[in-house]
Amino acid sequence: MQTVLSLNNVSKSYGSIQALKNVSFKVPEGAVFGLLGPNGSGKTTMLSIILDILKADAGSFEWFNQPGSPATRKKIGSLLETPNFYHYLSAVDNLKITQAINGRGNNESIDQALGQVKLLERKKSKFSSFSLGMKQRLAIGAALLGNPDVLLFDEPTNGLDPVGIAEIRTLIKELSKQGKTIIMASHLLDEVEKVCTHVAIMKRGVLITAGPVEEVLAQEDIIEVAAQDLKALQLVLTNFPGISSIKHNEHSVSVFFPAGAAQPEAINQYCFNHGVVINQLIPRKKSLETKFFELTND
Amino acid sequence: MRSLLKVEWLKIKKYPAFWWMLLIVTFTYPGTTLLSYYAYTKSIRGKEMTNTIAKMLLGNPFAFPETWHSVAYLSSFFILIPSLLVIMLVTNEYMFKTQRQNIIDGWSRAQFVTSKLADVIIISLVCTIMYTAVAAGIGIYSDPDNIGRWMEQLQFIPLFFLQTFAQLSLAFLLGFLIKKAFIALGIFLFYNLIVENIAVGYAKFNLKDIGKFLPFEISDRIIPMPAFMNRFGKEMKEAYEKAIDAIPEHVLYTFLLTIAVWALCYYLHKRRDL
Repeated sequence: MQTVLSLNNVSKSYGSIQALKNVSFKVPEGAVFGLLGPNGSGKTTMLSIILDILKADAGSFEWFNQPGSPATRKKIGSLLETPNFYHYLSAVDNLKITQAINGRGNNESIDQALGQVKLLERKKSKFSSFSLGMKQRLAIGAALLGNPDVLLFDEPTNGLDPVGIAEIRTLIKELSKQGKTIIMASHLLDEVEKVCTHVAIMKRGVLITAGPVEEVLAQEDIIEVAAQDLKALQLVLTNFPGISSIKHNEHSVSVFFPAGAAQPEAINQYCFNHGVVINQLIPRKKSLETKFFELTND
Repeated sequence: MRSLLKVEWLKIKKYPAFWWMLLIVTFTYPGTTLLSYYAYTKSIRGKEMTNTIAKMLLGNPFAFPETWHSVAYLSSFFILIPSLLVIMLVTNEYMFKTQRQNIIDGWSRAQFVTSKLADVIIISLVCTIMYTAVAAGIGIYSDPDNIGRWMEQLQFIPLFFLQTFAQLSLAFLLGFLIKKAFIALGIFLFYNLIVENIAVGYAKFNLKDIGKFLPFEISDRIIPMPAFMNRFGKEMKEAYEKAIDAIPEHVLYTFLLTIAVWALCYYLHKRRDL
């Protein structure tokens, strides 16, 4: 599979604060690539660098296996940080400027893009009259304009209402089905987990992990077990061979194994043999949220 | 280049301040000229001795070919109006963060500066066209007998363009560096109207006229005072002739300064974080 974007040891400092430290990763074609990290972890800085808004201090990046240039940027529909438009112009006039610069699509594509983000009825209204959510929609519309193969969204659901958030989720899934590559930074882990195929997690400018969602999440198997007597259950399971750790919950016990090592039947048998009858046994995948907190907590 | 101009036109054509500027320039250039013309005709009308002297001294500064020079000199005071527009056009891009979006959408950083350079050239052209129309109009109106001499002193048209372009480039530089409209406007007005005038005046008498190298004064001197000023005695005549002789030198300085201004803009924009 072709690589759409690759970063090689990109670093960036603002004065004494190092915002990015040797960040390297690749985004394969057709991926929905989620970029996660707490506030100030360097997500937007990284996206700004690959869009030539900020200059990296060191390292390099390539789009479509070429060094980033105006020509490569024209192929990418981008929403970076905030919706940036001329306040005195209407939605249509703003998109005309976007189109005159990136050269994507024709006259009809403007209406099409506005339709996709449900702004067709307000297309002649001035940008300054838009609500926060509508501004965000227009920015997404501008990125979609002319149907580019690569989309880059920095917090796409910012300022949107719950319906709007669901719509964007559906939109991203649809775009992904069409084979588009989507790079998306977000705080909403649930969102990322629902739509992303790949994920990268950043913390204080360092890339902690990156890869396909299953790989990033599946570093451990978790089995949730419950019995009438939780204390006895925990005691028994502590001696179960091959476990990496055990955690006591309110109504159950979580048992952790190295990836691929968990065998629910063996647990069941083992507990029964040791006089504890299990009334619940659920193999669980680690949620992205758990993983995220684990990786980003100090 | 055509695509850059198209984008700039899309930005400008629905920008109210642009049309306000055009409207104000449309009124101020002919307005000032007519006021001055009125003052002039009043001073020479009548049969008093002073009227005759005034007529002798002034000639008709509004007849061809003098009109090219006189109107250029009068109109050049109103550089402030297009300057405000130039500053707004560049600081808007920062305020709306569209200077980032233009790059994100696929312009190079140099293309962004070129698009702004095009704005400044277009505004300078608009001013020059207005000036040319007013100068020609008053020339025809005030002395139809001299219409045949319209081809003389036409150099004031390109000189007016150069002066306008040079001074608007300085306004652009301020907006470009300061990024905030009102601070840039404030500094521009305070410096252009007050600081530099005082400095030039002081330097003229105390510092061997080094004030001529101040940024606005460099191009102010490519359109010196109107010709009738040389008829007020020997000293004035000498000063006038000296000013006329210094034009080529100041044209050169103006070119150098303006090139430096734009080179700095290209250089900074290429390197800095947006």
